[in-house]
Amino acid sequence: MHNTQLVQAVWGGILFGSVYGLMALGLTLVWGAVRLLNLAHGAIFIVGAYTAYWVVSTLHLPILIALPVGVLAAAIFAAIMHVLFIRPVIGKAGFDNATLVATVGLSISVSAAVLIIFNPEYKVVPPVLGGSHTMVGVQITNQGLLVIATSLALFGLVYVFLTYSRQGMAIRAVSQQRDAASLMAIPVVRTYGVVIAISGALAGLAGVLLSPFFFLNPSSGFNPMIQALIVTIFGGLGSVRGALVAGFVLGIFESFVEVYLGVAWALPGVFLLIILMLILRPNGLFGIGDVRRL
Amino acid sequence: MSPGTVAGVLLLGLVLPWLLVRLDIGNFLVVLLILFFMQAVVAQSWNLIMGYGGIYSFAQVALFAIGGWTTGVLAHSLGWNPFASILFAPVVATAAALLVGLPTLRLRGTYVVLLTLAFHELTRVFAITGPRFISGGGYGLTIVPGFPLGNVSNDQRLIFLYYIAMAIFALATFVIWRVIYSPLGVAVTALRDSETYAVSRGINQFRVRLLLFGISAFFTGLAGGYMTHYSTGISTSVFDLSRLIDLLAMIVIGGWGTFVGPILGAGIVIGLDQVLEGIGDYRALAEGLIVALIAVFAPQGLWPTLRRIYDQYLGPEPAEPQQAAEAETESSVGGE
Repeated sequence: MHNTQLVQAVWGGILFGSVYGLMALGLTLVWGAVRLLNLAHGAIFIVGAYTAYWVVSTLHLPILIALPVGVLAAAIFAAIMHVLFIRPVIGKAGFDNATLVATVGLSISVSAAVLIIFNPEYKVVPPVLGGSHTMVGVQITNQGLLVIATSLALFGLVYVFLTYSRQGMAIRAVSQQRDAASLMAIPVVRTYGVVIAISGALAGLAGVLLSPFFFLNPSSGFNPMIQALIVTIFGGLGSVRGALVAGFVLGIFESFVEVYLGVAWALPGVFLLIILMLILRPNGLFGIGDVRRL
Repeated sequence: MSPGTVAGVLLLGLVLPWLLVRLDIGNFLVVLLILFFMQAVVAQSWNLIMGYGGIYSFAQVALFAIGGWTTGVLAHSLGWNPFASILFAPVVATAAALLVGLPTLRLRGTYVVLLTLAFHELTRVFAITGPRFISGGGYGLTIVPGFPLGNVSNDQRLIFLYYIAMAIFALATFVIWRVIYSPLGVAVTALRDSETYAVSRGINQFRVRLLLFGISAFFTGLAGGYMTHYSTGISTSVFDLSRLIDLLAMIVIGGWGTFVGPILGAGIVIGLDQVLEGIGDYRALAEGLIVALIAVFAPQGLWPTLRRIYDQYLGPEPAEPQQAAEAETESSVGGE
């Protein structure tokens, strides 16, 4: 019995961790580069998920085709969001206000649009990999393994991209010191767009891969986004490494709390942990930028 | 606003329900007015901390719910008289706000967003899955006694409820007005506009924000308590994002960070809601888009625009350039 619980907790922890990491990666990238708290992240998540669902259910194409279509749709949506709602206020004094309210408004709009286009019934998105194994009484789904593998692979990819590619270096430059970057002839606003699009693609990917685990509905994006926010802040806003580590730390913590204390304690437990972190180390684990304590 | 105008509006407010109940559609209008009063209170409270204080809190709805649940539980499970239990709604809501505010308000804006969103989620989950005695389950509290107003006719009862709502609205509006035009209010706007300078002038940022947060929570909880007894119940749908966006729309459309803005916004949103009843689900879609567009392209909202138009076309003429120049030279010579 103990073994099962332990394995359940560990498996759950690694799975949650990968999920959170995936969601948080896009959020932290955008914060780092654009200093934008993207509360539409959840909306982009469901754009990806619902697009994949549409491809599978209406076009009757396999999920393997729906996956890149969903990711692309999410990236395009994010780019449009950037052009319409972010770009006009870049550099202006009310940027934080405007983008916060605008992303919240967009979030609702997407939820409503999805509700209208599809109906409020829960949708089932087929997993990319079906089947599962059982280990010591714990069900280990292949889709779960895929999620973990994808998450780790993406972190690696993003790391390589940021470190070695020109565009990646441009993004890092803009994150560190925007004005200097623009003096070095880096097109700052266009870089913003690229980062937002990449973040959108990541959110969309998370949406398509994760939706088989629960029933997809118009408000599916809210919870993953809150969790992503928590992980992002825990790991430090703007830090890719932080998102990865924090994702697993929080994932394992939450999983253990759930298995040993009950599901009801999961969210309060995480809440407490994040408050503790913010009191002791407001920058998060690896945060960049300054955080003024009062 | 001159005392005459205020008195006039008050008088109108007092007399209105008696006139309206005579009309066929009047009762419905009174109900709308009651809704307007309560929404305006919550919108004003939120605007106080978000528009004036720059605190991006998303806990407003949760505090409203806490107020509502407090009075609901006291009245239903403990059998208290609603008039007594409603007094505890703002108290508990304020206590909760202070509890949340203690860790949260020390930190920068982004963190406040996250922690208040998390608080909203926590409250929602607790409301649904908490101990039966408090939560009432997935639908919320459904059997809450209404205000005991004695054996009166339906119309009379409605008018009494209206007066209670109006009293709460008047109280909240008055207090918020006093706060804004007081040293506290000036401190808050100073913090919002130029934090470093305000702090250097000795304004304790944390205490000011906490105080504001508490005041805002007080009236939000009170409104929640009233609505619970008015509707004889409070449902968990109060936590829906659509309610949040309604409030946000009121502030954004009416005038972010202005006094009249949220009141105007509340009227507009509730009015439009009735007019556009037919479009159903498209309403949320339109609302979200409008909020997003206004936030980006017309961030001050409607009230400042109206004020500007009024000043330009109907307001008093500005002082003569001659006098203005004289006054300037005088002050620059005589002063520092």
